[in-house]
Order: sequence, then structure tokens, then C-alpha cells
Amino acid sequence: MPLASLPLAAAGSGFFTSLNDFLNRWWVQDFIVVFGFGLVFVLLRAGSRNERWQRAWERLKRDRTGLIALAVICLYLAIGGLEALQIPSSGGGRRSVLDLVVGGIPSEKTYSAPLANTLLTEIPPKPLNGRHLLGTDALGKDVFVQTLKACRTALIIGGLTSAIYIPLGALLGIIAGYFRRWADDLIQYIYSTLASIPSILLLVAILMILGKGLGTMSFALGITGWVGLCRLIRGETMRQNERAYVAAARALGQSHWRIVTRHLLPNVMHLVLINFVLGFSGIILSEAILSYLSVGSPVGTPSWGSMIDGGRSELSRDPLIWWNLSAATVALFGLVLSLNLLGDSLRRAFDPKRG
Amino acid sequence: MLNYILRRLLYSIPVVAGVMLITFLLFNVLQKPEAAAALNLGAKASAQAKQEWIHNRGLDEPMPVQFVKHLGRLATFQFEPSWRTGRDMREVFAKHAGPSLLITLPGFVCGLIAAVGLALYQVFVRNSLLDRSMTLAAVALMSVPAMVYIIFGQAVIALALNYFPAFGFDMQGLGTARFLVLPVLVMVLVNLGHDARLYRAIFLEEVGQDYVRTALAKGVASTRVLGVHVLKNGLIALITLTVAHLPALVMGSLLIENFFGIPGLGNVLFIAIQTSDQPVVLASVYLGSLLYIAGLILTDLLYALADPRIRLS
Amino acid sequence: MSAVSGERWSFALLVCGAAFLLCAGCDNNPHPRPLRETREDGSPWLVRYAGTSEDVRSLDPQYAYDQISRRVLEPVYDCLLEYHPMKTDPYELTPCLLAEMPIHEPGANGQASYLCRLKPGVNFHDDPCFPGGKGREVVAADVHFSWQRLCDPKVEATIFSNLAEYVTGFAEARAAADQNGGRFDYSRALTGLEVIDRYSFRVHLLRPYPQILYWMAMHFTCPVAREAVEYYDGKSHDGELRPDFHKLAAVGTGPFRIVEYSPRQRVRFERVPGYRTTTFPTDGFPPEKAEWLSQFAGKSLPLIDEVQMSILRENIPIFVLTRQGYLDGMGANKDAFAALLTPTKTLAPKYRDRGMFLEKDVEPSTFWTVFNMEDPVIGSNKKLRQALSSAYDNLTYSNIFMSGVAPVAEQLVPPGIFGHMSDWKNPYGYNLERARRLLAEAGYPEGRDAKTGQPLELSLEAVSSGSEDRQRAEFEQRAFAELGVRLKVNEHTFARLTEIEDRGAYQIASGSGWGADYPDPENFFFLFYSKNMPPAGKNYGRYRNPEFDRIFEQMATMENTPERLALAQQLTVILAEDCPVILNFHKAGYSVIQPWARRTHSNMMLEGGLKYVTVDHALREQKRREWNRRPVWPLAIALVLVAIGVGYAVQVRRRLNA
Repeated sequence: MPLASLPLAAAGSGFFTSLNDFLNRWWVQDFIVVFGFGLVFVLLRAGSRNERWQRAWERLKRDRTGLIALAVICLYLAIGGLEALQIPSSGGGRRSVLDLVVGGIPSEKTYSAPLANTLLTEIPPKPLNGRHLLGTDALGKDVFVQTLKACRTALIIGGLTSAIYIPLGALLGIIAGYFRRWADDLIQYIYSTLASIPSILLLVAILMILGKGLGTMSFALGITGWVGLCRLIRGETMRQNERAYVAAARALGQSHWRIVTRHLLPNVMHLVLINFVLGFSGIILSEAILSYLSVGSPVGTPSWGSMIDGGRSELSRDPLIWWNLSAATVALFGLVLSLNLLGDSLRRAFDPKRG
Repeated sequence: MLNYILRRLLYSIPVVAGVMLITFLLFNVLQKPEAAAALNLGAKASAQAKQEWIHNRGLDEPMPVQFVKHLGRLATFQFEPSWRTGRDMREVFAKHAGPSLLITLPGFVCGLIAAVGLALYQVFVRNSLLDRSMTLAAVALMSVPAMVYIIFGQAVIALALNYFPAFGFDMQGLGTARFLVLPVLVMVLVNLGHDARLYRAIFLEEVGQDYVRTALAKGVASTRVLGVHVLKNGLIALITLTVAHLPALVMGSLLIENFFGIPGLGNVLFIAIQTSDQPVVLASVYLGSLLYIAGLILTDLLYALADPRIRLS
Repeated sequence: MSAVSGERWSFALLVCGAAFLLCAGCDNNPHPRPLRETREDGSPWLVRYAGTSEDVRSLDPQYAYDQISRRVLEPVYDCLLEYHPMKTDPYELTPCLLAEMPIHEPGANGQASYLCRLKPGVNFHDDPCFPGGKGREVVAADVHFSWQRLCDPKVEATIFSNLAEYVTGFAEARAAADQNGGRFDYSRALTGLEVIDRYSFRVHLLRPYPQILYWMAMHFTCPVAREAVEYYDGKSHDGELRPDFHKLAAVGTGPFRIVEYSPRQRVRFERVPGYRTTTFPTDGFPPEKAEWLSQFAGKSLPLIDEVQMSILRENIPIFVLTRQGYLDGMGANKDAFAALLTPTKTLAPKYRDRGMFLEKDVEPSTFWTVFNMEDPVIGSNKKLRQALSSAYDNLTYSNIFMSGVAPVAEQLVPPGIFGHMSDWKNPYGYNLERARRLLAEAGYPEGRDAKTGQPLELSLEAVSSGSEDRQRAEFEQRAFAELGVRLKVNEHTFARLTEIEDRGAYQIASGSGWGADYPDPENFFFLFYSKNMPPAGKNYGRYRNPEFDRIFEQMATMENTPERLALAQQLTVILAEDCPVILNFHKAGYSVIQPWARRTHSNMMLEGGLKYVTVDHALREQKRREWNRRPVWPLAIALVLVAIGVGYAVQVRRRLNA
């Protein structure tokens, strides 16, 4: 399943199809994954040069909850990354590195309980093809493996959405807060209008036009989710504007661009970081709701949201099928909780007074 | 003051117009009239029947003409009747707003009381182990998707214990309450974690103020300071934050109403989305934006009332 | 207000609130009270609690086509003819509003006509649209009026184009209306329906069409009162908004009337006193129920007094309410199956001990996955289609998604319809070896294009309205992956999918199927008739075969003779070989019925057959009490927890204040 699928609203456009084919190649996908991680690393390094960030990091190191949360998030990142890295397998198909690690667990025909020996409904019972730690789902896939694979989906959606809404929100926020007057009015008008539309409606409509897919879902979540960050950055920019160093820079005749990039941007980036971490958890939760509304991940893509959605009716069965729903909920909960706790720790680290 | 309100109302008009433009565009690009006809008439309808359906509703006119007609209708609150059921939208809103409010209002009030209570208690025992565990619990509550609460609420409590109806709704005077308990409980749970954290931050900020230290130094009982002064001042900040959501309570919660079968406005919109019932969606979005803007104006008014230093410029 | 008294107030509030909740929540019955407790003669007022899955779209009998609306229409509007409720193999039509079956009069020039006579003394329901509120007698002019409405473009009657081909004058009447700006002239009599006298009329056909009798058993052709259509115009009169007849008003002739319609909640029907048009059948009882049914033989209908039809969109509540005894029956879906049935398809012991019944619902319908015959890759490559069909494991599909209940479809015509061959096997049913061999012969050995070496990629359009649809689509994906063929699934809403099928913008579309309008093979084969192309027709696969057309035209309006059977079988063979679709299954399902609501009829051509339904009131009350016991221990635990919490808070406060 490719990392990015471009919205093919203009179906049949030759350029898009060949671009999509290019993106589908396994080594391109691997390159994107490595590039993504590398980019994050570079950004963090750039941040570490900032004095404020260094002080925050000192404080963070002493916060045990935050460190544990960070470790858990790194674990999820590792699993997701393993799944995203693909290598060609025999028969012309593709497998992920995760598949290699977990080993070839065969699939069954239909449901089976965790660590069970037989299918749920077979008479007479025949032995299963393999051992399933958390049982199998309706189509016989191993639930534990599916849960791990869904990490990738969650990380992709979160990452792509953030890549869209953060530049959008931060940029517009700074512009609105720094330049004021008509730019501020225009941007306020845009986000007031956007905020007035019930977000579910907008998401569903956009996804129906562009079709389902991880890329289109991220796009839709991104362009409906930048309002909060924009407001935040705008407020902070306005506050920074009053500060002496900005007035001094302006008196020195520095250009707008310089003031923004040299002075304002570094001083609001910590807010962006906190918003990114907390927003990530919100995005993953949204994916679950979108799956319920049937505009979630496409068919064949493992995702926690679709597992939870499928688990709804399974709870009324007898014997009860709880493993699908529970595995997805626990995995989802783990990641979202860690992100929330990390966000709180970051807030405390950057501004200990407002703990 | 009146001046201010008028100016804000005037400002809302381009916002509402922008909202209607976006939704109208989305809907007409999203779905061709033929598909809407098929959905409404059933898959077995003939092409001729579909064409007549489209023509009878003016869907074959050029888009700008349709849009202008829509705007005109909305401005005079004459909504087009639903495609699916043919009912007038005003009647739909009037009839279904009741059940929505029966859930969201108690949910809001109970949620407020619960969150404020928990937040105050946390401030009471601030920086202790209890405080930290409660914060952790609040974050944990926040990290579970709303759907999971609903699923378990329905499956476990209603089914296993037979206390409350698992589903459905009926206006029966006092007896209506039994349909509301589960949805309200779920609504409170879903919002509790997030709200408790927010209110705790607000109250903590109040506690940091000078007057609190002075009062404690003078020997006023801790609970009195907390329960009366901090609460009162904190509530002001809190209410100005939450009042923006009050008008929107009428719209009801999409998920909760759908799961529990409450015939409220949230369910109306949800079904309209699923069946691409354009008039209902447009009318609901219109109503939703009006309510949201009303909430914003209300917030500003309350700020001005609460703090005379803020000038409404 | 001091802090202490404030605390006391809030505590008191808490106690009151809890008490209030307890009192209110003493009962988990979601239904409103019945209209009455007893009948006039003192016997209990019988209520039936049924369910449906959606709101009604329209109650206009000439317009409504979807199954939900039909289920609500059926008890309210009687039709000219009706199906015998118990005879399903073969189906049998009996007169309902007509006094006897129509008399076939073959005419000259290949034309035909049917002489029909209404039963005298049948009245419309009492309604304010009539003078004095009393319903008047149904006469032939009412039938004429409703058939005129079929031609009226404003009514948008969905079956008009079907009937216009066979009934004299229909097409002309519609054309005249179109020329008149869409206004239909009701003063001009139809040539196709000749009113002879007060109760008799004659239907004139352009050519022989025995299926017209089936249309007479459907509500499209039933009589409608002109007063009702004119009264219910959807406008405000004297400040009160009247419903629109085209949508939600119903003045019928049937055994029930609608007394309440709460959108998204329920529909309530009440028995019409004095209904005499039909009575409970006296013959045709299935042997296993004959003794029990004989107590109802010849009785006046309906057997019950009130129906509360709840609108339940989700599966879980349906299941929960049935387990609690608040629904009188449910159709078992994929997840309910596992709880209710053993793997050997009998009722699970837990429910058998409750006394529930298991009934098999057989609906004459077939479902398939359709290939677009105009697609360059699939349409011209017969072996590819045969290969794909051979890769589809229908049995496993049925096992997973229908608990093995729905029979695999080996042919187009479902069992119970004339033309079905009971020992025919699909020559391209599930056989992986054959599939691989055919795929290689088609030019794609091991799923790769023999010329370019690229893997074959096909796209599937499917409906996406829930997790089960997603699982079905995934099943298809994996089925083709066995061959090495990559299937890309595109999900759409139902509306969009229909639009895509209309335009032919797809390669493969799943979930297609057809449920019989009437039990005749013509109703199935016409889907592959080349003159039935979309958007006017339903040949979504755009299948064109001149030989098929020729044989079809021959057999379409024949009576059920051995010659017709031979022709139908020829058509089945042609379709099997050409493989324009992957046949999946015939719809069948199980319904679980409560012990007090045993079924009297099993004919799925009826939409519920509410007039034949019965309930045992006393048994239901007893069982409901049994199944809804409320344990006390959770309350006790909750109270203890609250007490602990309060105690702790008080202690902390004392400590902090000290």
C-alpha cells in the first residue's frame, strides 16, 4: 500500500498516474520513510541550538512521566517505520520489514480466539495453521499483526496531516499577528468561516469528492485543522510584537522577513511543537471517528479505527469476540495517552510557571 | 453596546455567505443530480422518472442560478423541504431540537458540575500525588475515542444490567428520563477528562493570585477561600470560555444520538449526510453557523460585562 | 452562603438526583404504551412490535418503490390481487379487491384484455378528506384515477415505463401531458383502462402480457381516492400544515391505518374496524403448522389490533431489544447469527430454551458481481472472466458473512421461480486450478500480462456503508490475490455507485443483484437484454448477445409451459458460458421469532403480511418479566463507592483546615 496516493480527482490525467506509479515503487517508498525520519532529526537538531529549547530539555529530562511517554512514542515510531520500509519479496510482491521480523504467520478462514487451536465456528474442529497471540478477525487475519501494521497508518495520517496544517497555520498566524490590518482581517475572516462549518460535514464532503485514501484523508484533516494553531500563533505573535527586541530590530531597519525568521519564528516554535504533539493525538482519534462514518482508511489498509468500527457489532456475538476491539483500543490509547502526556510535559518544560 | 452588536451582526453576514458558498459548492460538485435522484427514487427507477425528479426540483438549472435562489431562500428562512421525506425544515428543526437539548443541556450542566468539582478538588490537593494521579486519569479519559465509551455503555450497562433502555426515545413526561441517563452519562464521560484539565488550569491561575495568599495569611479557612472566592472568579473565566458552545448545543451530538437512537438534530444531520439529502444539510449548516456566531457574540458580551476594563472596540 | 451550608445543599441535591434517577429508570422498556388496554369485548388488546431499518420515503402507492416504504404501505393499501400467504412453490395469486381473478380475453391483432370486477361494499378509511369524515365505497373510477396517476409526470411513477410498453394508451397519455407543460389532463379517459360500470373495468393490452397480473398484486395499481390526493396537498389550510399525499399521507382500503408517524422513531398502525375484504385462508397450510393454523382458518382479519413498527438503523439495538423481549422478531445478521445459531444451523440451546423459533426467509433474489462488458480489458476476454469467476469462493463468503445460510447461486434464476434448474452447477464455480489455467489461457499467466510482464490490475467499485461492507470488499481483494491479480477497491456511497453503473465508468462492480418484482423468470433475464441499456434500462453490465436476445423475446411473455422451460434453460446455459457476471448467492436469511409471535405465513413476496400476524399477549408479558431481571448488586457497590468518596473528602477538608 503506497505511502502517498495523490487525489485523483482529475481522473485519467497522465501525469498523475505516472507519478503515482513512480511513488509506488518500493525503493521510492523506503526513500520517503528514511527522508521523513531524517527531516525530523534535522529539525530537532536545529531546535536544540535555541537557548530556550536547551533549557526546556534540561527540565524535561527530570520529568519522569514525560520521558516514559517519549520512550513509548519512539517504540510506536519504530514499529511504524518497520512496517513502512518495504523490500521486494519473491513472486513480485512486496513485504514490509515488519513482516520479516514477525515471521510468516499464516491466515485462517475466519474468527478464532486468542491462543486458540481451532476456528470459532467449525464443526468438527480442525487445527489451525498457526498460533495467534490475539486471535484472528473475520477474514482470518492475525489480530496482533494487524494492530502492529496499523501503527504505520496512524503515523502516516498524523505525519501528513501535520505536514499540511502546521506550515499553513503557523504561517498564517504569524502573518496575521505581525502585519495586522487587512491581512489580519482577511485571515480572521477565512478561519471564522471555516470554523463555522461543522467539521464532520466538511471532512465527509471533501473525502467523498477526493475519494478515500490516506493521502486524501490527511489533506482533508489538514485543511480543516489549521485554525487552532493559527489563532494560537497569532496571539503569541501579537504579544511578541510588543516586546522590546522587536521594536529595536525595526528601529535598526531590519526587513520584515528578517524580523519574522530571526526573531519571531524561533520564539513561537515551542508552541508549534506542543501543538504538534497534542494535535497528533487528536488526528489519530479523528481517524477512528471517520472510520465509523465510513470515510476512513481504504479497504485493505489496516487501521485501528476500522478495527474498532468492526468491533462494534462483534460485541453482541456469543461467544463474545472482544479481541479485535480491545487490541485496537489499547494500541490507540497507548499512543494517544503518551502523546498527551508528552505534550503536557513539554508545556511544563517550556514554561514551568504554567504547569 | 447596541452599536457593537449591530456591527458584529453585520460582520457575520459575509461569514455566513462564505459558509453557504463552500457547502453549496461541495454538494454540487460532490454529487450529480442523477445520483441524488437514484438515491431518492430507489435503484429500480427508470431514467424518465429520474429526469422528472430532477426537473421538478430545479436541479437542471445552471449552478449560479440555483445558488442565488438558495441564498434568497435561506435569508428569509424558507428552507427547501427535505428530498427524502418532503417535510418542511422549520418543522423538522422545531420537532427535533427538543430531544437534542434534552441530552446536551443536562450533559453540559452535569459535565460542568463534575469537571468543576474535580478541578477544585485537584487545586485543593495541588502538587500532591493525588493531584498528579488525577491529572493522569484525566488525560487517560481524554485519550479514549468517544466511540469506545458509547460501545461499552450500550453493551455493558444497558444490556447486562437491564436498568435503562439500550436504545430509543419517547416523550413520556417524567418517564422520558430513563432514555436520557445513558446518553448523558456518556456525554459527560467523553468530555470530562478534557474539561477537568482545562478548569484545573484556570483555577490554578486564580489560586496564584495575590488575594488568595492574603486571605490564607489572614486565617480564612482554606475551603472557604477555595469554595467561594476562587470558585467565583474562576467561574467567570470558565463561563466566558464555554458560553461560546451554548447555542450550538441545540445541534446535538452526532455520534451519541446515532448510537442511542435519539431523534435529535444531530441524527437528522447525520442521516442527511449519509443519504446526501442536500436541503437538510444546507439548512443544518446554515443553522449551525448562525448558532456558532451567536455564541461568539455572546462570549464577547460576557467578557465586556465581566471586565469593564475591556472596551468593545 | 457559607461553604458548609453550600456543601449541605449540594449533598441534598445529589441525593434527590439519585432518587429521581432510580424512580425514572425502573423500566428498560423503550416503547410507548399501547393505544388501549382491552378491546370492546374485554379480550386483551393485541400489539405487535416490529422493526424496520429506515424512515419511510413516501406513502404514495403509485410512487414508492423502496422496500421500507412498501412495508409501511402494505397494511394500509389493499391491492387488486394478492399473493396467497402460504403458497410459495409455486406462488399463487388470489383476488383481494377484485371479486374474482381477471378474465383473460384474447383479442384480434395480437391484442389482449382482462375483464375485472371489484367487490362491492369495500370502503376507504374514514378520513377528514371525505365529506363528514366517512370513507366512501371503492369504485372502478378510483382504479381508473390511480392508473391515470401512473401516467402523470408529476407523480414520477417508477413503473410507468414498464407498463407503457404493454398497456394501451399509456405512452400517448404521458406524451400529451409533456406537451401540455407537464400538466396531466384527468378529464380525458385512458384508453388502456376502460370503465364499464360502477364496479367493472377492462384493461387493454397492446400484446399478450400475463405478467400484468403480478403488477395488479402490487400497490402501484391499487385504487386511490381522488379526494385524498386533492386534500393532502402539502400546503397550509387554516394555519395547519397538511401533509403531502406524494410523501406522507395515506388513505387506503386496507386492514390498518397509520395513526402515528414519528420520524426516526416509529410508525403506529391501528386496526380498521369493519374490515371485510379478505379473511384468513382456509387452505395451503404447510403440514408442520397445519394444526396450529387451522384455528385461524376463515377468521376475519387482521388478527391483531395495533402494530408499533420501530425504526432501528443499527444492528446492536435490534439484537439487544430482541433479547430483552421488546421486539417480536428479528432478521439475524452476520454477527447475530453466531450468537443465535449453532454451527449446524439450529437454534442455540440458550434461545431454544427460551422458546424462540427459527424461520428461514427465502427471498427470490440473486446477487452477483458485474463485469462491464464494454471495458477493454474484461469485456472482450471471456476466459479472463471465467477465470475470475472460478477464483471466487462463494461458499466461504457465505459462511463468513451469512453464516452459511444463503445458498450459493449456480444460475441466474433463483429457486422457487419457474425456470430454475435444481441440479445445475455453474461450470465456472470455485475451482482454483481451473482458475489459474484459464487465467493463463486468457493471456495472464500467474496474474502477469504475458506480453509486458506487468501484473494485472483491476479495479472494483463497491458500496461502503459500514465495517461489514469493508470486510466484504477485502474478501474480494484477497480472492483475486490468490491468482496474483491485484484488485484496487474504490468505495462509494450507494448513490454514487448507481451513478457509476449508469454511466458505465467502472470495470467490476460488486453488490449488484436483483430481487424479483414478481415470480417470473422474465424479470431476471430482462436484465441481460440488449434493449435494456442504461440509463433507461438496468443492463448495467452492457451485455450484448443477439442469440440471447432472440430466445429472450421468444420466451418473455409465454405461459409456463415445457417449451418455455426449455428456452429458459437455454438462456441459463448461454449466460453461464459467457460469464458476464460472477454469480454469488441467492438471498436467504434466518429470522428469530419470539415464542409468542409464531409466524403464520412465510411468503417473502409479501412485505410483512401484517394482517396475518398474531401474538400471545400473556406469554409475552410473562417472558419479558423473566428476561429483564435487574440485579441489585451494582447499585449497592455504587452507593458504597460514593460513601467512601464523600468520607474521604470530608476527612481531607478537616485536615487541611486544621
